[in-house]
Amino acid sequence: MAHKSVSERHPTGDGARGPVDSVPREWLEEFEAAARRSLETRMRYAFIKTYKPVLDDARFRSFDTMADYRRWCEEHLPDWLGYGRV
Amino acid sequence: MAAFDYRQAVEIRDALARHQVRYLFIGKSGAIILGFPDTTQDAVLFVDRSPGNGRALVAALRELGFALTDTEAADVERGKDFVQLKNGPFDLDLVFAPDGIERFEDAWERRVEVEGFPVCHLDDIIAGKAATNRVKDRESLPRLRSFREYWMKRVT
Repeated sequence: MAHKSVSERHPTGDGARGPVDSVPREWLEEFEAAARRSLETRMRYAFIKTYKPVLDDARFRSFDTMADYRRWCEEHLPDWLGYGRV
Repeated sequence: MAAFDYRQAVEIRDALARHQVRYLFIGKSGAIILGFPDTTQDAVLFVDRSPGNGRALVAALRELGFALTDTEAADVERGKDFVQLKNGPFDLDLVFAPDGIERFEDAWERRVEVEGFPVCHLDDIIAGKAATNRVKDRESLPRLRSFREYWMKRVT
């Protein structure tokens, strides 16, 4: 699997490759609709901002290991944020 | 602070290119650039961990307006596994050792470029989320895997 440039190999909005049978129809329609939008529009729809308690309360954090980061999330963030491991 | 937007993504792309930083968009922010329709709050970069790349990244971040103290800059330059930046014009997470991906070089070889944005391949994004195994990732994986199926048929 080598590096690809999607601008050359990922035509948008034409549904060119036919249906993807195993993908739920509702999702497929959303994927097709997204493919017809510009990247700028997709990003405007995708990125949201809401206050996340604790997480948003420091201007900088760094962790030596991902395990340290995961542990910190589980010990300090509210469960409902979803950062805890299953 | 407002939500991350396209203009800021372009600023990242251009500043990091000027400083020749090797990085990839990863996580849901990467998937969104590839066309995945979903929502997220986080822009996340997977950065190649090397002394030169770390120095270049710090220079680029400061140029973008991130107010890094010398200690913070040293953490970024050293490539601590995870760095969360909320001291600039937008929030940005840096990850140097994402779960589920062995080496930056492998992900770099598989990368996809969209409008000049270097992005992890969907397989790497999915592998990362599966390995992380957080509640929020578990919830998004079925839809992300369906998108991969759709996307692969269009790309190949």
